[in-house]
Order: sequence, then C-alpha cells, then structure tokens
Amino acid sequence: MRIIIGVADMKVSSQAEAELITYSLGSCLGVVVYDPLVRVGGLLHFMLPESQIDPEKARRNPWMFADTGIPFLFKEAYKYGADKGRMIVKVAGGSQIMDDQGFFNIGKRNYAAMRKIFWRNNVLIQAEDVGGMINRTVRLELSSGRVWLKTSGEGEREL
Amino acid sequence: MNRIEAIIRSIDRLPPLPAIIHQALQRINDPGSSAQDVVEIIQYDQGITAQVLQVCNSAYFNLRRQVHSLKEALVLLGFNTLMQILLHNSFKGVLSHSCRGYDLDTGALWKHSVSCALLTEILTRRLQRQPDSRLFTAALLHDMGKVVLSAYVQETFAAIKGLVREQGYSFVAAEREVLGIDHAELGGLIAEKWAFPRAIIAAVRYHHTPWLSGEDCSDLVGLVHLANCMALLTGIGGGSDGLYYTGDPDLMENFRLREKDVEKCLTQLNDRLAAMEAWLEMG
Repeated sequence: MRIIIGVADMKVSSQAEAELITYSLGSCLGVVVYDPLVRVGGLLHFMLPESQIDPEKARRNPWMFADTGIPFLFKEAYKYGADKGRMIVKVAGGSQIMDDQGFFNIGKRNYAAMRKIFWRNNVLIQAEDVGGMINRTVRLELSSGRVWLKTSGEGEREL
Repeated sequence: MNRIEAIIRSIDRLPPLPAIIHQALQRINDPGSSAQDVVEIIQYDQGITAQVLQVCNSAYFNLRRQVHSLKEALVLLGFNTLMQILLHNSFKGVLSHSCRGYDLDTGALWKHSVSCALLTEILTRRLQRQPDSRLFTAALLHDMGKVVLSAYVQETFAAIKGLVREQGYSFVAAEREVLGIDHAELGGLIAEKWAFPRAIIAAVRYHHTPWLSGEDCSDLVGLVHLANCMALLTGIGGGSDGLYYTGDPDLMENFRLREKDVEKCLTQLNDRLAAMEAWLEMG
C-alpha cells in the first residue's frame, strides 16, 4: 500500500505493508523517521523554514514549516510507540535555483532551520541528500525501514 | 532539413488556437468592452456556456440562487475567472501529455503550469496591482515549448545533462547549445503562430531570460519569470531539468520584493491550487 505525502503534508504509519512516498521535493525538505524496533515510520514534506511568516497558516497546516512540522512529526511517531533514542533520521531535498543574491535560496534556509532544531534536540541525521538543483522523490518502506531516493531523470538508489 | 528547421516545423503539428480564446482575450483586454460583448463570443459554444454556468452555480461560489443566464454568470464570476475556464478547457489536454525528454509523467507539466499561473495571481495581489488575463494566460502557457521540444531533448539528453552538470550551464542555455533552440524561444514561436498579443509572446519567450527582453520588456515578462522561479522551487510538476535555471535579482529589486515575499507567496499556493481544482475539475 502506497501512502502519498503531498507538499506541506505528513504521515506516520505502523502498517508493515505500507510505504510512504513524497514526490517533487524542490527547495522543500523531506524528513524521514523510523524506529526499527516497533517498525513505526513517518515522512514530513515541509516547504518553508519558519512559521512566523504566517502563524495562522501554521495553525491550520503545521507541516508547511520546519519549526512546527518537525516537532509534530516526532510527537506523532511517539504516539505510535516510537522511541527517540532508536529513531533513524534521513533527509532529502533543499535544492535551489541559480541565484547569486540569495532571493530564492529557500532550500538553504530550510536546511539551516532543520539543522538548528535537530541540534537543539540532540537529533543526529543518519543519511542525507540535500542541495544542488535537482528534484527528488523519497520513499520509505515500513517493513524494512529502507529509504529510497529517486532523482528526476535518473534511477532510484538507497539513502 | 537540419534539426532546428525540423523542430520549428513540428510546431505545425500542434492544434490551432481555439478562436474563442483569441476573441475573448481581445474583448477582455479592451477597456471599452462590456459583459454583453463577451457573451456574444461564447454563447455559441454550448460546452463552455454550460461549464461557466456550472462553475457559477457550484458550492465554491456559494450563491443563494441558481444562475441561468450567461451574462449574469459573467458579471458574477468576472472576466478573469471566465478566461481561466476558457484556458483550462483549451489547454489542459495538450499540457497534460507526458514529456519523456523532461521526465514528466502525464499531468505533471499541467500542474507546474497552473502553479505558475496561480503564483502570478498571488504576486499581483501582493504587489497591489490589477489582475490581468494576459498575465495568467502567459504564465499558463510559458512552457508550451517543452511539449514540442521534449522528443529532441530526449534524444540529446546526455549532451544537455553534461553541459548542465559539468559546465554550469542553465538548462535552457544547454538546450540552445545542443539543439540550436530552447523551449522558451520555441514557446515564443508557438505563441506567435497563435497570434497572441505581443506582451504574451515576449513573456513566454523570455521567461528564463527576462534581461534579454529589450523593447518587449514589460511587467508581464518580469512577473512570469518570478512566478516561474517560485513554481520551480516548489518542485510541483518538476522534471529532469530540475532547478537548473537562473533567477533575476534585478527584477526582484525592480518590483521591491524581498526573500520574505517569496515565502509569503508560496504559503498561499496550496490553498489556491485546491480551490482551483474544486471549481475547475468538476464535471
């Protein structure tokens, strides 16, 4: 069973036969968490670094922003029995367009905001594929915890 | 026949522009025209008349009574919404084709195009300007050239990718280097063939290179460029050309936009996409 995560969206599941997938990560970041003991996994596809840009939107859709979406993802995984100490974290996305002056460098800002949250909360990233100018698709198999990364125009590889 | 000629010739395989789009665009952008003038153009097209009434009577617009006359519907919906219905009807098919050269599945290019068009609307509102049907039209059609160029990009993808990944070319510059023409210029030729107004042709042709638009430079060129940069960032409907395109910082400064404005615009896109789907995808 394939569970699709849209832009500014998140899903957590413990169904062994399920896989979580998010398409079209441009400057957005995909954050995958997985607890191998209880086989609970989650995938967040956030768009922007900080919710202060639109607090009302953040209330309705916390998954749009790093600072509201990431804590939400972890808390939701805990509800399913995941444990922070066991959780494996992988991230992908954060691309940018060619832009000397940084008007469009949301990808970099997304990554920085995420790192700050992880650093404050002692979360280590086990694997990542970030930056550059490519579109990415990320897929988590809940039975095995394997994470697959597809770059547009190329094949799929394990992250 | 050399390759550039072959590419340009293949424009002829595209369907002609529906006359109704042309006529509606002319009337809508003529300050002297009235709702009755527009009614006269579209009343003979039963499909579009039915769709306009259906959209007007949909739950989305939440009117208290049924609207039965086209003229009343146009007054209620406004010309810009009418234009969106016409464009949706005329171009969803051709822009929904898969484009293998760009690794775009069925429907992906349409999603990107609609995102770009909606972002021009969001930007227009943010800049406190009047909505402009020409802008929405140009944004929706900006990547039309990809539909035609896709097959040629597929044949030469290794060479294009080499220039992009190893030599720092933008994707359009690499297309031009390898194929002699790029999807933006080709889109401009298509818009010309369809006899669109000059500002629309320029906005399509220069959507990746607004700094080259010279005397055709207009707000349309700039806003389509900026909206497209934002649409590329979202990744929605993104392909193998990725984000290998240049954003023009001078335009951001000309419009007095900052990076926070880009973020603000992006927060609104999801809701606008959902709303548009709700009222256009019916029936």
